[in-house]
Amino acid sequence: MPLSEPMLTARDVHRHFEGLHAVDGVSIEVMPGRITGLIGPNGAGKSTLMAVLAGTLPASSGTVIFQGEDITRMPAYQRARRGLVRTFQLPSEFAQLTVLENLMVAAPDNRGESLLGALLGKRYWMPDEERLVAQARGLLKRFGMSAKESDYAGTLSGGQKRLVEIMRALMLRPRLLLLDEPMSGVHPSIVDEIAGYLETLRDEGLTILMVEHELHMVDRLCDPVIVMAQGRVIGQGGMAALRKQREIVEAYLVG
Amino acid sequence: MNTYYAANLLIFAGVDIIACLALNLQFGVSGIVNFSFIIFQAAGAYAAAILSMPPDSAPDYSFQIYFGGYQLPFPIPWIGGAIAGGLLALPVGLVVLRRLRADYQAIALLVTSIIANTVINNARPLLNGAAGLALVPQPLQDQVDTNTHAYQYLYIGLTAICVAIIWFISARIVNSPYGRSLRAMRDNELAATALGKNPSALKMTMFIVGGAIAGLSGAILVGFLQVWAPSTWLYPETIILFAAVIVGGRGNNVGAILGALLVPVGFEEVTRLLTRMNVGPPQLIPALEWICIGLFILGFLWFRPRGVAPEPRHVFPGAPVTEDTHWVEGAHAS
Repeated sequence: MPLSEPMLTARDVHRHFEGLHAVDGVSIEVMPGRITGLIGPNGAGKSTLMAVLAGTLPASSGTVIFQGEDITRMPAYQRARRGLVRTFQLPSEFAQLTVLENLMVAAPDNRGESLLGALLGKRYWMPDEERLVAQARGLLKRFGMSAKESDYAGTLSGGQKRLVEIMRALMLRPRLLLLDEPMSGVHPSIVDEIAGYLETLRDEGLTILMVEHELHMVDRLCDPVIVMAQGRVIGQGGMAALRKQREIVEAYLVG
Repeated sequence: MNTYYAANLLIFAGVDIIACLALNLQFGVSGIVNFSFIIFQAAGAYAAAILSMPPDSAPDYSFQIYFGGYQLPFPIPWIGGAIAGGLLALPVGLVVLRRLRADYQAIALLVTSIIANTVINNARPLLNGAAGLALVPQPLQDQVDTNTHAYQYLYIGLTAICVAIIWFISARIVNSPYGRSLRAMRDNELAATALGKNPSALKMTMFIVGGAIAGLSGAILVGFLQVWAPSTWLYPETIILFAAVIVGGRGNNVGAILGALLVPVGFEEVTRLLTRMNVGPPQLIPALEWICIGLFILGFLWFRPRGVAPEPRHVFPGAPVTEDTHWVEGAHAS
């Protein structure tokens, strides 16, 4: 795919809830190899848009195209398998699974992941399992979480849960990562760490679309930035240019 | 203790263990609150009865009315019971599991259980209504004399073989990557979906597998009791099995077995002895029994929510040694 082709395109996407237009005709493009920011006041429809893109919520109308394929009607789990992986605004770890198990759940291509494979027993799926454990441990090491591998994910701190979610998403080898406020509820000392990881992932070629409230984080990480208010896109471009647009500043302050 | 009583106890234990392993797969591991569990046991029992009984026109059987009557030899009725349980899971699961949220699923399944019982109770031409089916043939009764101690041991042996098979299947599911995905779905369905898991398919599969195992347990039970009627599978029976899985330890097969031995077997047997001692009015002991079951569930959920034998932590070989962090219910903020 040439670099100029968008990774993801949303065309005139609407999402209504009983007459409330949470997303009201949004068209955006996410270009590969970049971290695209999605900002806007509370209630702007950012999280709803993320859910529609990931397939967690169906679109009321409009089209979502991922890597040239129309995925508007595709269920969420199939989008994930194609490399469109989201994280959630609230911590969503598998609390009663260990950290390593959390990662292993996401791993694709495990022969033990079907009922038949499970019944055939360890000898059938152990080779896959061992390969994926090694891969997951590599991620844990990279994110400085090796010592926590056998801890229940539910006992981790907010920041560590975020890291688990990001690692879990990476286990799927995503093409596009949708991050919904990855810094929220995270201790300030870990925020920088997470930002560093995201920069590295971008430099390695991963595409990210990210909802974020902390504007200095958006400044540091995101280019371009899409601004939403009341379900619509009211501007996009570089942060420096956006700051000069009066209506955008107002939407943020008023909203 | 005479042989018949011992056999009785062991076979009930086997049936309850099989049922609890099935409910553990559905509720403990996958998080499906199947409040209609007992109808799958009933489906297996009725299927096994119909498959082994002669038609209702047969001389000794003409006092009851039912469809079918195929006089098939053992083990076809038991296999048929398991298939019936699995087949029943298809329509129930398709209606209930796909669109409803988990709490509504539980209510819908409870209602399903009550409706099924009411229908079978009142539609007599189907399965002889409230009077139920009687004179259900015992397995191998044409080949061996069923009024011997040896037959009791044989029945215990057949039950034990089934327990072993179901234990094997449950263990393989729970300890596999597939079982891990089921537990992940139980903990957070939305997140599991976002990681490429199809919760509808996972739940449906466990509904069918659990239904088939429940059906087998019903077939074993009816072959021993030789009678089966709507009063034996009222919805509170499901609650007893839930109590067993909660008390034993949700998500742990060993816990399911312990729960089966503690609650349905231990509890009911103890209270049955009390009934014989003529304490108070005749309905007092059964009523107290229900109060105790309720207190049992509440007590465990409050003080020991993970049960007698909690779900084990899965540590991978070669994991760095860390201090033992136990899962504490409610300790995680979310």
